[in-house]
Amino acid sequence: MSGHVAPHRWADLWAGRVGDPERTVMERHAERCRACARERQRVTRASDSFAAIRTQSSPDVSWDAVRARVHWSVSTQRRAALRRPRPAYGWLAAALATGVAIAMISGPAPTWSPVVAPVARHEVRSPPVAPAALVGLVSRASGDVMVDGVRPADLFARSLTTGSRIATADGRVDIQFGDNSAFALGPRSTIELRRFDAQTIELAVDGTVDVAVAPRAGGQRFLVAAGDHVVEVRGTQFRVTHDGSSTSVACRHGLVAVSDDRGKVLVGAARRVHVASGSPVSSEHVVALSSDELTTLAEATPLALPLWDPVALAQRSAPLEIATSGRRDVRVDGIELGLAPLRVRVMPGRHTVETADSAGRFRRAGWVDVAAAPQGVRLDVPAEPPPTSGISERRRQLRTRIDQPRLGRCMRSIAKAGLTGTYVQVEIAVDARGAVGFLNVIDSDLPSATASCVREVLAGVRFGAGAAATWREHIDL
Amino acid sequence: MVAHVMLARVKRDTTGSLATLGPADEADLIARCKADDRSSHDELYHRFRRQVAGNLYRVLGDRTDLDDLVQEVFVIAFRGLERFRGDARLSTWLYRICVNVALGKIRTRKRRPAAIGVADLDATSADPSLIERPETPDRALERRQDQERVYKALELLAPKKRIVLYLHEIEGLDLKQIAYLVDSNPVTVRTRLFYARREFYRIIAGEPPPDKLPADEGDDR
Repeated sequence: MSGHVAPHRWADLWAGRVGDPERTVMERHAERCRACARERQRVTRASDSFAAIRTQSSPDVSWDAVRARVHWSVSTQRRAALRRPRPAYGWLAAALATGVAIAMISGPAPTWSPVVAPVARHEVRSPPVAPAALVGLVSRASGDVMVDGVRPADLFARSLTTGSRIATADGRVDIQFGDNSAFALGPRSTIELRRFDAQTIELAVDGTVDVAVAPRAGGQRFLVAAGDHVVEVRGTQFRVTHDGSSTSVACRHGLVAVSDDRGKVLVGAARRVHVASGSPVSSEHVVALSSDELTTLAEATPLALPLWDPVALAQRSAPLEIATSGRRDVRVDGIELGLAPLRVRVMPGRHTVETADSAGRFRRAGWVDVAAAPQGVRLDVPAEPPPTSGISERRRQLRTRIDQPRLGRCMRSIAKAGLTGTYVQVEIAVDARGAVGFLNVIDSDLPSATASCVREVLAGVRFGAGAAATWREHIDL
Repeated sequence: MVAHVMLARVKRDTTGSLATLGPADEADLIARCKADDRSSHDELYHRFRRQVAGNLYRVLGDRTDLDDLVQEVFVIAFRGLERFRGDARLSTWLYRICVNVALGKIRTRKRRPAAIGVADLDATSADPSLIERPETPDRALERRQDQERVYKALELLAPKKRIVLYLHEIEGLDLKQIAYLVDSNPVTVRTRLFYARREFYRIIAGEPPPDKLPADEGDDR
């Protein structure tokens, strides 16, 4: 190479895309030529900053405002598309006027035929149509649930209609009956679907029920009867607790009317009313909810699947049973579902299940493929390994004894494809003699073949005698 | 491979409790969105909003109008979901929309030049896991100046060249992936990239930018 080095070739050199002979020539030239050395330095510094740019995280945006604007834009367009075009009355009137004018100018005066006496018409009144019956489907259940006095094996396949009576033991059951409309029956509670149709929903509760109901259309009613009190709403989320001695109604959002034969009181958002049996409801009983009570209400929101089509759901969805050794918080596909063991209705496909450890951190417990079948799928979550000492020493051993050249060979194809910043997370158990009990890849963004290769490399690490340890290791590659 | 790389990027960008979507969940989410379900629109927005904002932010190098651009991406996505055939991952498809929206923004900015807000890049820190030790003020200043230099050089390129160069040099994507994102073919991308690199590194090295090359023609159509 006799001339100067083009700047982009310095970038190639930085990226390792220059062969050894040319590299030597370029470097020798830079030693002799101050201008090229300066150019090389500038290009290298720019190239170095690429990694920093690549890892820049997103700044915070006004997320809620943007979401509202997106929704407004999309829904406005949809509404405009749905709006029927207005009939062209103007054109019609103009055409009519023109026709009349032409007739008056060109033709003789019209001769009108005698007026025909109107014939009396009897209006045929159609018989009142019965409102369409609603169907409720169980979306989540934990513990024993009885429907009409029996423990059904096909709880998730059963349609709940008018007259159904549901009771819980220590767990709870969530029942969806429409878009964004569901109720959840708390522990040791009973509910009866007294009326369950498109016009009126009337539930009679003894115990605790959490209700989230989408805004009702005009003429629709939603009632919860709790002893001698009736709770009526139009669209809201609230909790009714009724036992023999009192009734309590807490409203998370919306407006709830609580009435009895002596009066009526309105309970607004973040407020509750507590009325003893036999006492009339009064606005004096309405108090504000504490933040803890609001949090409890939020956590008790009934589970409603986003797509509500009872027929399709009954045929296509399936229950997923998550069995844990103790009571552990569980998350499916990122959605917290409360304490397991429980059963939840899911759509067919692969679902990721996470459980909380003793520190409250969610960790992946596994994934499960669910097919559309009434019997569903069960996932047994292994018990959390007991905390072990000596993790830091074992971790150090793992880190220092990885066969780096072999690991590099595993990653070669990935690196050539330009994919960087990958990782693998493993769970590993080592006993006191240094033998590896198990080594599982929990998570990785590598292709499966590469992840397996990395796992083999990690399995090849030899540990010495020491403290037994079980831990999870996140390794950036 | 395109989908895989994008998936990796989604994993890197999403934070908090939202798990990465599997293909089946993704198909389900798309189906629900197509059925005009508001809650699934919200879910899609919540899952991908940080990825979208991050992509736009990195491509453009400043946060001016970022709210509007994120909004634009999601509006285009929701309106275009009907036409989404599922031949790429949802994250990839959104990335493609981001690239187009960013391209539009760059073109507008070319017509109405504004101050380059690259200083914004330091407002949010990089991924903390990638920072091994606290940065000294001198080093931070140097890094900031280097990034400013990169974005200023990018500003001088034609929009299409800029996008291609950004995706290759900074995001590390290969020609096929870039071709998908910019809706072109790999050969065109290769040519564009060749000229873009030559021009960009000349600017970086302090040489005067060359005259317009044939590949510039039609860039701002």
